[in-house]
Amino acid sequence: MDTLLGQGRAAIDLICDPETFNENKVGAKSFDDPDFGPGAVVGTAKLDGQTVTVIASDADAFNEKFPVVYAGIIGMEEGYKMAQAVYATLEADKAEAKENKRAIVLVVDTPGNGPGKVEEIFGMNKATGAYQLALAEARLAGHPIIAMVIGRAISGAFLCHGLQADHILSLDSDFGTMIHVMPLTSISRIIKKDMETLEKLAEGNPVFAAGPRFFSRLGGVEEIVTKIEDMHGAVSRHIAEVRDAKKRGTETTGPVGRGSLGAERGGRVVRPEVIKLLESEFAAVASKYLPGAN
Amino acid sequence: MSKWSTLQSRSFLESSARERALGLVDEGTFTEFVGPFDRRTSPHLEVLGEAVEFDDGIVTGVGKVGKTPVFVISQEGRFIGGAVGEVGGAKMVGTLKAAIAFADKIAAEFPNATDEEKPVVVISFETGGVRLHEANAGLLAHAEVMDQFQRARGKVPVITLIGSKVGCFGGMGFVAAATDAIVMSEFGRLGLTGPEVIEQEMGKDEFDSADRALVYRTTGGRHKYVMGDCNAIVDDTIAAFRAEVVKLAKLPVSAFEAMRRIGSEALVAKQLKGVALAAEMQPKDARDVWKHAGNADPIALANVPLDEFRSTVKRLAL
Repeated sequence: MDTLLGQGRAAIDLICDPETFNENKVGAKSFDDPDFGPGAVVGTAKLDGQTVTVIASDADAFNEKFPVVYAGIIGMEEGYKMAQAVYATLEADKAEAKENKRAIVLVVDTPGNGPGKVEEIFGMNKATGAYQLALAEARLAGHPIIAMVIGRAISGAFLCHGLQADHILSLDSDFGTMIHVMPLTSISRIIKKDMETLEKLAEGNPVFAAGPRFFSRLGGVEEIVTKIEDMHGAVSRHIAEVRDAKKRGTETTGPVGRGSLGAERGGRVVRPEVIKLLESEFAAVASKYLPGAN
Repeated sequence: MSKWSTLQSRSFLESSARERALGLVDEGTFTEFVGPFDRRTSPHLEVLGEAVEFDDGIVTGVGKVGKTPVFVISQEGRFIGGAVGEVGGAKMVGTLKAAIAFADKIAAEFPNATDEEKPVVVISFETGGVRLHEANAGLLAHAEVMDQFQRARGKVPVITLIGSKVGCFGGMGFVAAATDAIVMSEFGRLGLTGPEVIEQEMGKDEFDSADRALVYRTTGGRHKYVMGDCNAIVDDTIAAFRAEVVKLAKLPVSAFEAMRRIGSEALVAKQLKGVALAAEMQPKDARDVWKHAGNADPIALANVPLDEFRSTVKRLAL
């Protein structure tokens, strides 16, 4: 097996303890309707004996009600189903201390969010937004969230399912993994720059290039995993690292942590400067905006 | 730049990001953050030999509305369609962080502060989402903004305004949906997949992006108001948007939870009723849903003056 592209279910068994995945059950919640959000796979598994929630995409599923959903696309039902799995995880551990909250493992292989007229009429933006807010809530509540990119992590779908995680791991591009907003060929066409120039520039500036290695330099991927059999150990190790990091607050993992990592790795050095400048400019005038100030 | 008083009657649709930012808050109260004089331009555009803007196409700052500190983020569609890159994204994130820290400071040091003395954030969206010239950095910035929204919950209300030419699409379409309250004009458009992209992906039969009326009734302010996807629909002036901000700024932060569309298990359950309705109806057009909501003549309703629309429209009950 040299690629896991389109094989989200097989990947769950490779990442978690084999044959422990109990689909459609998260805490007290059961997902009983097989026709509801078939492109989203949710359930509970064990990872080194510990209970984890797993959320993945099923590339073979087709949503009869919403025909834009196939090949791992996250449609409206899928987005809300994934959000429900997160809320069910929060509910299941609500009495647990912060450090004992179960991990959530996102198995990432999705090419996009549902594009379509019905989706726009009813608001696909809400479904993907709802899932992201649920993940952010769980992350801030203490649940370690690890995303493992095994295939496609494309643009808005990666924002939906991946980029709210504490840590993001990716199989190397040898395995066919793709992380990008658009392929470089499309970017080249839209911004009207030839491929040769873009490819050359991408060597020094990973900001528009496609692939896990470029994302890693931007801090968008914490670790590249170079062997399929290493995924289990890597995810387990990152759960432990994230648990440890969370003892020191919520600023060192997740999107904020990846901002710092991007500066550390030299891929996104302007971001922290701008935030720092903005904070100092506000600090200089903040007293004018305090209660009772004129 | 026009005087504050003349800005008020200006069309929101036609106004620049800075005009909107200045006109939304009280006269003379706006302090810009990382403004044009700081010259924080995009290094990535420069490498590509593209024109840069000294504010990177986004105006951020703080002003006041009455006693309320109002943090403002205002996107400029005239610069690369208002798309978000590393600098602009950092300005959004920095402003949200500053607002949250300021709310924490007031909570700690001014226990008797009234609701109107506590800060709000106002975002005037005009964007198609990620700036492709620096796509990866733009994408990562979107995730950071979503994270800050969740951190702001229960501390600082975040209010969305949509009524500018480009609308609010792509990743910023769900960023806007994730805020507490949404105010639109009938010219505002909100969605995830822009009309051209749907046509390209699904074909002209699914969506003809050249059909402006179709575009508006699928993503425009009136439709979003029927769907409950915006909380208010206002006239196309800066003053009208400002009046909504004035109203919202006085409210306690707790009042905003009831205005949200998403952000809790209960709201997901509510939205799923809408999805079930979509599956059952398979609407060919937004008008079908207007009818289902109890509007007998959706075509007429789409064309009546806005005042009449507001007073007669039936909104979808989920």
